[in-house]
Amino acid sequence: MTRKEQLHILEALLFASSEPLTQSRINLVFLEDAPQLINLIPELQDKFSKENRPLEIQEIAGGYQITTRVEYETWVRRLLNKSGKLTLSQAALETLAIIAYKQPVNRFDIEAIRGVDCSGVLKTILERSLIKIKGRDEGPGRPLLYATTDIFLEYFGLNRIADMPKLKEIIELTKSDTEDQLDAFIREPVQSSPDIDQPAESPSA
Amino acid sequence: MTYRVHLENFEGPLDLLLYFIRRDEINIYDIPISNITEEFMIAIEDMKKLNINFAGDFVVMASTLMRIKSKMLLPRPELDEDDEIIDPRKELVDQLLNYSRFKEAAESLDIFASERSQVFPAGKKVIVSDSPEEVNVILRDVTLYDIANAFKAAMDNMPVIQVYELQREPIHLDEQKELVLRSFDGDGRLRFSTLINQLETKIAIVVTFLALLELIRSHQITIVQNELFGELEIQLLTAEA
Repeated sequence: MTRKEQLHILEALLFASSEPLTQSRINLVFLEDAPQLINLIPELQDKFSKENRPLEIQEIAGGYQITTRVEYETWVRRLLNKSGKLTLSQAALETLAIIAYKQPVNRFDIEAIRGVDCSGVLKTILERSLIKIKGRDEGPGRPLLYATTDIFLEYFGLNRIADMPKLKEIIELTKSDTEDQLDAFIREPVQSSPDIDQPAESPSA
Repeated sequence: MTYRVHLENFEGPLDLLLYFIRRDEINIYDIPISNITEEFMIAIEDMKKLNINFAGDFVVMASTLMRIKSKMLLPRPELDEDDEIIDPRKELVDQLLNYSRFKEAAESLDIFASERSQVFPAGKKVIVSDSPEEVNVILRDVTLYDIANAFKAAMDNMPVIQVYELQREPIHLDEQKELVLRSFDGDGRLRFSTLINQLETKIAIVVTFLALLELIRSHQITIVQNELFGELEIQLLTAEA
């Protein structure tokens, strides 16, 4: 199979995949001699931009996804009759932020930070699959532990939790936690674009 | 001098306190507890007046503020192990700082979500809706305060209902008495369970039971029970009744 053929197949798979395409999916599709996404994707991205396509390939939730480009938002929105107003409440966003940085975390720790009851909002974001239950905590009552999901990453257009803006203070706060995932998160250099380094100053769309 | 807070949609007591601090440009490490407690209590009163079903969390915070206030009035401050003076406000300040960091993180998540909503992924099955706008647009810029006001106005204008209509029960005592008497088989004995099992509704059972009591009172029937917790047997007292 030539590289050109591989690129064509990859583009077709990206187009048809309902969730971000991962290397492990590619391995299943190709049975043998599966091409490496990490090599092919940059080439395909190059091709897209050279041809000035209205589409681009984004890294989302540990995989790759073809999306329309921002310039075409208005047109696609008209097609889909979408108003573009976001449906997550302030309470949901705060709760998600806490879970994202401190996961896995139980309800009582979330409530201690927010200073309000969180059972309702937890139920809502669980139903929307933005978070999942990740076992039970030690200690009295063995409360449920919550963690973010791939749907969370997709919803916010993130590739990994480590792409969340690096707030030094928050990392300080979470250092006491021992979860491997979190350790990795602290060690990993965060490569964020300038506009997410200072979220407070970015104009919200 | 204090003035009323326009009650926006605060996420909780910490959010409200942060709002006071930002509005009055207060140094978070030196919060004037007395003033802020007063403001906080006024806000709670406003919520009560507006019938906002505010959470107990606000009450808890009010008592925390009062406790700090009273500790600050103590002539001799509390000392820690190293004989350093403990600022009674420290715990609250830490909590406020911690909360504000996550609130900021929530703001960046909000920005991410709106950026993400500008692009559309391939392969997603999107249901094309016929309604031109979503409800969210209609509710844009409406705060909890507006909703509470609207609710209060609606409650104030609600007509006072004075007439109640009661539905007449379709089951009558006399009919049930007849039913009981009709249910006896040839030997003038009837098992209580047989009688009750043919009834379909709770009200029918209740009225039938009343009918039994009536019939006993008028000596038309009697009820016997052969063993403790055993089946009740209704016996017809014939002729002379």
